[in-house]
Amino acid sequence: MMGAFSFDVPGGLVTAIALGLALAAAVALSLRALAPLPRRRRVALGVLRGLTALGAFLVATGPTWSAERSDEEPGQLAVLLDVSRSMRVGSDRGPSHSRMERARGLLDRLRADALRDGVSLFTFGRTAHASAFDVPSARFVAIDDDTRIADAVDAVASDATAVLVVSDGRDLGASTLERVEASGLRVHTVFVGDEEPLVDDAIARVDYDRVGFVRRAVRVRAELRSYGQPAHVVALGLYEGERLIREERVELPEDGSTHVELEVTPSSTGRALYRLALPHMPRDAIRENDERAFLVRVQRDNLRALLVAGRPSWDVRFLRSFLKRDPTTDLISFFILRNTSDMTMADSDELALIPFPTSELFNEHLGSFDVVLFQNFDYAPYEMDVYLPRIREYVERGGSFAMIGGPLTFSEGGYAETPVGELLPVEVLPAHTPASRALTTDEFAPRIADGARHHPLVELSADPRANELAWRALAPLEGLNVVRRLQNHGQRLLEHPSRTDDDGEPLPVLAAGSFGRGRVLALMTDTSWRWGMPTAGEGGDGGAYARFWDVALRWLARDPLLDPARLSTDRERYGPGALVRVEATLRDGSYQPYADERVRLRVLDGRGRELAARDARTDAGGRLEGTLEAPSEPGGYRIVVDRAEPSATRRAASGAADASPEHLAEDVFLVELGGDELADPRPDGALLRALAERTSGRFSTLADVGPLSSFDASRSRVREIVRRRPFGEPIFVLGLVVLFGLEWILRRRWVG
Amino acid sequence: MVPAVAPSPWLVRTALTLSAALAMTTIAPSWAHAIGSGGELDVRLVRYAGGHDRPRDTAPRRLAWELRKRTSVDTRLEPSDARLDDPSIYLTPFLYWAGDEAFPALSEAEIVGLRRFVTFGGTLLVDDAAPGGGFLGAVERELARALPDTPVERLPSGHTLFRSYYLVDRPMGRVSGPDHLDAVMIDGRAAVILSAHDLGGAWARDVYGNWTYPVEPGGDVQREQAIRLGVNVVLYALCLDYKDDQVHAPFIMRRRGSGRAFGPGP
Repeated sequence: MMGAFSFDVPGGLVTAIALGLALAAAVALSLRALAPLPRRRRVALGVLRGLTALGAFLVATGPTWSAERSDEEPGQLAVLLDVSRSMRVGSDRGPSHSRMERARGLLDRLRADALRDGVSLFTFGRTAHASAFDVPSARFVAIDDDTRIADAVDAVASDATAVLVVSDGRDLGASTLERVEASGLRVHTVFVGDEEPLVDDAIARVDYDRVGFVRRAVRVRAELRSYGQPAHVVALGLYEGERLIREERVELPEDGSTHVELEVTPSSTGRALYRLALPHMPRDAIRENDERAFLVRVQRDNLRALLVAGRPSWDVRFLRSFLKRDPTTDLISFFILRNTSDMTMADSDELALIPFPTSELFNEHLGSFDVVLFQNFDYAPYEMDVYLPRIREYVERGGSFAMIGGPLTFSEGGYAETPVGELLPVEVLPAHTPASRALTTDEFAPRIADGARHHPLVELSADPRANELAWRALAPLEGLNVVRRLQNHGQRLLEHPSRTDDDGEPLPVLAAGSFGRGRVLALMTDTSWRWGMPTAGEGGDGGAYARFWDVALRWLARDPLLDPARLSTDRERYGPGALVRVEATLRDGSYQPYADERVRLRVLDGRGRELAARDARTDAGGRLEGTLEAPSEPGGYRIVVDRAEPSATRRAASGAADASPEHLAEDVFLVELGGDELADPRPDGALLRALAERTSGRFSTLADVGPLSSFDASRSRVREIVRRRPFGEPIFVLGLVVLFGLEWILRRRWVG
Repeated sequence: MVPAVAPSPWLVRTALTLSAALAMTTIAPSWAHAIGSGGELDVRLVRYAGGHDRPRDTAPRRLAWELRKRTSVDTRLEPSDARLDDPSIYLTPFLYWAGDEAFPALSEAEIVGLRRFVTFGGTLLVDDAAPGGGFLGAVERELARALPDTPVERLPSGHTLFRSYYLVDRPMGRVSGPDHLDAVMIDGRAAVILSAHDLGGAWARDVYGNWTYPVEPGGDVQREQAIRLGVNVVLYALCLDYKDDQVHAPFIMRRRGSGRAFGPGP
């Protein structure tokens, strides 16, 4: 029985010491007054005073002794078997050499005793899972991640009084020693080390910007470690998907680490999946930590727009004003301020005019723009014929192009049968069509075309009825570039209320489509600015103009938020086999919902191999929710949703015989199997030894582990707490009074 | 009031030359015109009661003509006019407000129209045909009513307006006037531009093509500067700070530094 001593005064020991010193000083000083007395009397009074002071001190401070009285009682032992991935180390030298295999061997040795004594078995990684000794050892596979010994001990604390932890000691938890000690369990440990020194190169850690921007470098900082081999040089590869985009030669020190910084520049928005990889060395113990994947959420940085206008006009002015006002748009604009027929009445150096740098723009920098807008622009006077094929190529490769109407463009600009005319969603009338046919001059209120009500470009309001009213409330447009018909599967979004095209369909005012990988927009009027100032002047919603162009620009720039079909996972990172929850809104290219549609969710690896799949059905709004199981191997994966029946558009585009699934949307996610678990795979016997020491347990190695019965599972139980405060008794107080009285009487007699 | 000048042989020749140029312009290909009349820039005159609101009757037409001749801007050659309370002013975002004397307070509807016009994006050129005659003071009084939080301020000499088409060193009109323009700035834009130079007086011509008013202190250069300033004002209204774009800077800097008569660069 162990106990503790304390003082029953505020401040405890400190107050007691202070009081003791004060009393001792008082006694010492008082003794001076006894100097004239004979020695015997002086001694007698001194002793009495000392005893009185001591008694007063003890009564005042109330020293107390307290102790727990406990009994040892037999308990229940549980075995905790580490099945984290670090236990696979050694398997490169053969299955029997892995830490896991040797731990299995230990289980086999303990099985008989365990079954007889009813010892329970748990496996653990992040936490503990109940198992049993009658389960064949081969069933214990080291696949768990993120070893947390303290969490595992906590998880079994209610089922056992002592645990036997069988582990390599590689733990990722925080404050493990303190937490295990606080659990109150006796913890015995069996250290599963390696047979031979570990030889391994590892990507121990990757730090990176979780959010990146298109065309802006993302910094990636990797920590590389090497164990059990002399300094050597390795080639660290950075991959986007399966494509090697950078390789860096790195010198790894002997038994140490080094840091490497790399940069990667995302090219499109969304989640970009990258991978760092080291070559697999022949003696490398763990191949899983030779790779680390990471996801960067790529957002659009500033949108780069090129606006070329054939002449200044209010349409040009208000569009430029809108584009310049948006801080997320980098605008490069060129307005033709003077034609060759204009008489400036000034020398060129009296003019603020600059040459139109067509070659720079369309030969050198075209690819750097997200969107190119031709606003009432005719190419012919600027000898731009040679650049039109480049514009077509730019759009085919994923650039976006918009042609905005006016008296200089569409058929009046001679775009029919040119590369630019071919990419438009509308067929342009021939170049020499009389102006009376190529242009209309009447005022009209455009209306939303059938089938376009869900398209974001004409969605001024989310409510369909309010949206129609919003369009009707806008100031009317004036004049229109007449086109022959839609082409390239273009979609009519706004149409003239009465005029028709060559096919007898309503004359398109706004049409959208795609060409190659790019998006294309055609607005056949130069008076969209009337949706702003004139509408506001009439008391209407003048903000409609900015909202229309904001959406138009974002749609052209492929803002993911405006994609017709979208799919997202609930997380970016999953453990092996975890449930991946998926949400999707599925609409076709015309933004019509895939209502009550049978679709297939699939998980694909980097090589496009299908790893998991399930069928699902959308609701009336094209929405879908579902779950899929994450793969068991680490890496980056795509989750895609396919439409079982290809659309009519797709069939028409690819031939009626093409019955392959139509890919609608996708997202990417990571499965981290190694992760931090294998970042430093060295076994840690010191931790296991400390755990045992702190909890009165025993530390063993595989070689010296004894039978289960040798591990003490008993637990001391506190029966009572004993408290003794001897100087608080009344008799002692009475004694103190007697001492004080005797001393007082003698002092009165002898001193006077 | 400034007296009209008699036509001279030189003026007749000039008028014939420019008339020929105008004729060439009108026979230019169809693409030279807007789709509808609303696409043309209208140098629209502001009408108001109680003052002399057409002091330079032909000035808007002359400016429209000069714009069409000198630039790619498509203009309406017969400008219209409107009161500030006319709802159609929002379809013509450029207004020309001239006068040569003080005028009584505008109606409340006109004040509302003025305020909405400039805040919704319109540009207003105020031209005092008789500097010192009280017109500008009356305009500033009405601007204070319409836009009480945005005072009239001096437009810096380096402002884009002075290089929106021509490189203009200082404002000049029929009179040389002050060496600056004033403006009301809204969201960084010179929404109201005030001139005390009688720009319209320098632009105005009679039906025979003769300059209606002599310029003071005089000379063709001054009249040409007045026309250039008018062109720049309209180009500024249409292009705003386009000439502040970085791509223009090296060219303009080079020309500003070329030693021509247009002073230091911005």
